[in-house]
Amino acid sequence: MMREATPEERRIFYKEEWNKREIPDFILHSLSLREFGFDLDGTGPSHRYNQFITVEQLENFMRNRAPYSAFASVALYERPSAREGWLKSELVLDIDAKDLPIRSCSCPPGKVCERCIDDARKVAMEFAETLSGDLDLHNIHFVYSGRGFHVRVTDESVMGLEQNERGQIVEYVTGGVVPTDITMALGYSKVFRERAARTFNALNEERLLGIRGLRKTVIQRLMCEKERALKAIRDGKLDEIFSFEGMSQKTFCSLLGFLARINSGFADGKVTIDTKRILRLPSSLHSGVSMKCTLVRDIEHFKLESAVPKFVRERNDEK
Amino acid sequence: MGAGLGLFPLEYLAVLDPFSDEAKSLVKSSPPVDAMPLEIIDQAINRVKWSTREMVVPQNSKAIRDDVLSFYLMCQGVASVSYPYSREVRLISDMTRDTIRYRMYDLFKRGGEDFCVRTVQRSIKLVKLDGSDLDIKIPTEDIRKLRDQEMEKDGVDIVDDHVLPQYMPRYAVRWVDLSPLLRHRRTELTKLYLVQGWAMLTLRDLWDFYANLIGVKTEDYIQSVYERMLDSGSPPKSLVEIGKRISALLPKGPELGEKFIRVSSRRLRPEFFPPCISKALNGVGAGLRNYAITMLLTSFLTYARIAPPSTATRIGDVVDDISVVRDEIAPLIFEAAERCNPPLFRDQPQEKASIFYHMGFGMTIEPKISDSGKSKWYRPPNCTKIQMSAPQLCNPDEFCRKIKNPLTYYFRKISEHAKTGKGEKT
Repeated sequence: MMREATPEERRIFYKEEWNKREIPDFILHSLSLREFGFDLDGTGPSHRYNQFITVEQLENFMRNRAPYSAFASVALYERPSAREGWLKSELVLDIDAKDLPIRSCSCPPGKVCERCIDDARKVAMEFAETLSGDLDLHNIHFVYSGRGFHVRVTDESVMGLEQNERGQIVEYVTGGVVPTDITMALGYSKVFRERAARTFNALNEERLLGIRGLRKTVIQRLMCEKERALKAIRDGKLDEIFSFEGMSQKTFCSLLGFLARINSGFADGKVTIDTKRILRLPSSLHSGVSMKCTLVRDIEHFKLESAVPKFVRERNDEK
Repeated sequence: MGAGLGLFPLEYLAVLDPFSDEAKSLVKSSPPVDAMPLEIIDQAINRVKWSTREMVVPQNSKAIRDDVLSFYLMCQGVASVSYPYSREVRLISDMTRDTIRYRMYDLFKRGGEDFCVRTVQRSIKLVKLDGSDLDIKIPTEDIRKLRDQEMEKDGVDIVDDHVLPQYMPRYAVRWVDLSPLLRHRRTELTKLYLVQGWAMLTLRDLWDFYANLIGVKTEDYIQSVYERMLDSGSPPKSLVEIGKRISALLPKGPELGEKFIRVSSRRLRPEFFPPCISKALNGVGAGLRNYAITMLLTSFLTYARIAPPSTATRIGDVVDDISVVRDEIAPLIFEAAERCNPPLFRDQPQEKASIFYHMGFGMTIEPKISDSGKSKWYRPPNCTKIQMSAPQLCNPDEFCRKIKNPLTYYFRKISEHAKTGKGEKT
C-alpha cells in the first residue's frame, strides 16, 4: 500500500474499477458548473479549464485518459471552462495527515501511515461537530483524499461567503485564537478548550520547552500531573490551573497562545479561503499513494481498507 | 408624517438607516447640489465634528430630511476629493457608525427600544430571546459572564438597574447575517457567543453591529460614487468644495499630511492588481497592445501609485518629484510593452512618448514635473469599457463582482489586506 501506481495500474483502475456512481451527489448535481482539472502524467494538475456537461462525458475522459490525478473545483461557475461567472463555492476544511502538527505515529515528514490518517479522521470529526453544532451548518460531507480528509460543506448559507469570512471559520473551528474568556460553558470558549486540551495532551516536555516564559519547573509539574492539568483546561477551571506552582496569569497566557498556534495548523487555511480551489475528485485514484479518493458516509467507522483499489489488493496477494 | 412604529413615526427610520427606502425617497425629491440650501451644506460639513448632542435628530420632517440630505452630500463630497478606502473615507465611515450607534442609544433611553429593534430587523433577522420559539438554553453562568464582559469593555463597574438591561444577552441573530461585518473585520467569529448558529447579543452589541453595518454600507456607497465620478470626468465644483471643507476638518494622519509624504508612502503592490492589469503587465499580442499598454496600464499605474483625489487633473498637483513617474511607474509600463508580441516599441517607437502623453506630460520621452498638464492625464477606464474595448483582457475573478473600475479593485484589496493585519508596513 501507499506506493505510486504505475500507468498500467491506473489504466486497469479506470477500466475495471472506477465507477461514475461513486461520484457524490453534491458534485454530480452541479457537474456542469464545475471546473475539472487533471494531472495526466504525474507532473502536476496542468490540464485545467475542463467542463463536462454530462457524467458520461467525464466517464469517457476518465476511461480513455486514466489520469494520474483528477480534480473538480469547489466553485460553481456560469462558464467553468473559462473559470468565469463565479456563482458560489463549497466551504472546505482540508486535513492532511502528513501536515498534522502533532501525530501519534512516528512517520517521517511528508509520509503518512494508517495511524496518522486515523488522527486526521478524528480531527475531521471534531471540525464537523463544531460546524454543525455552533455554526448550525448542514450538508457536511467527508471525503478521504488519499492522504487525509476533506470536510466539504454545501450548506447554501455559507456558499456565498468570501475569503475573510472563510478565514474566520477556520480560526473558529480549529481553535486558532485564544478566546476573551476561556471559562464559558458554550460557544467558542468551549471549542477552544477542547482543542487546546487535545493538543496539550499530545505534547511532551520537549515541545513545551519551546514556550517563551514557561519555566522548566512549571512544565515538569504540568507533565507530572498531566491528567489534572488536562481536566482543568478542558473544564476551564482557572483556580485549578493557577494551583500549579509557578503558573501565573502571564505564563498561562503564553501556554494558551502556544496551543492556539499549534491548533491552527490542523487545517490548511489556504485551502479554505481559496474559493477557486480544485480538490481531488471523490471516486478517482490518488496515484501517488495508490488509494481511492472516496466519499465517506460513516466517518466514525471509516476503515482505510474501503479505499484500497482492487489492483493494490491483488498486488499484495501476489506477495 | 406617515404611520408610526409606537412612539416614533415610520419616517424616522431614515435617520437610523440612510440607505432605507424612506431615506432614498427623500433624496429623490431633493434639489440639485448647486441649489442645496446653505444650512444643509453646512450640516454636511459639520457632521464630522458632531458632538453626541448634535447627532440626535428631532422628530420632524424637516430635521429628518436635512439629516438624510446632509449625509449624502457629505459622502459625495468626500468621494470627490478622495478615493475609496482612503483614510478620509474610513473616518467618514467610522463617524457615521458612531452617529448611528448614539442615535440607537438615545432612542433606547427615550423608550424606543422596539423602534430600534424593528429598524435592525429590516437588515438582520433578529429574535428576542424571551418569548421566542428559539429552543436554546444558555447557562445562567454564561449569561452573567457575557454581561460582565460587555460591562468591562465599556469600563462600567457599577451594576445599576437602569444600565444593566443594556448588557444582558437578550437577542439572537444568525451568524451568517453578520457576514458583511466579518468580511470587513468589524467583528470576529471567535468573539461571538454562538449556539446552534445563533449569535447571542446584548442591546449594546445590537447597536454596535447595526451601526457597523451602516458604516460598511457607507464605505461601499462612497466607492460607487467615486467610480461614477471616474467615468464622468471631474466631479461638480460644489461637491469638490464641500469635500475640501470636510477634509480640512478631519484629523491629520500620516496619509493626510504633506502631499509628497502621502505619495512616497504608497509603493505599488502588484499582488493586489486586478486580473486585467496582471494580464496587461505580462504583455499581450498585436491588436491589443496599444489599448493594454498605453491606455489601460498607463492610467491604472499612475492612479494606483499616486492615489490622487478626483479633483487632481495633473500629476504635478500631487507629486513634486518626477522620479515617481520615471523610476517607479514608467519601467513597469516599458517592461510590459517589451513583453508584448511583437514588442510594442519595436514597430511603434512613438508609443513611448504617447505613454507620457497619457500621463499628461505632452508628447515627450523625458517628462518633467513642470510639463504636467501639457496634455490630459487619462483616468483608468471602467470595467464595462475594458470589456467592450479589450474583452481578451477581462478575466474577472470573484472580487471583480464588487467593483466597477480596476482602480477600486486595487484600493479595496489593499484595504482588506490591511484589515486582516497582514498589511505590509510602509
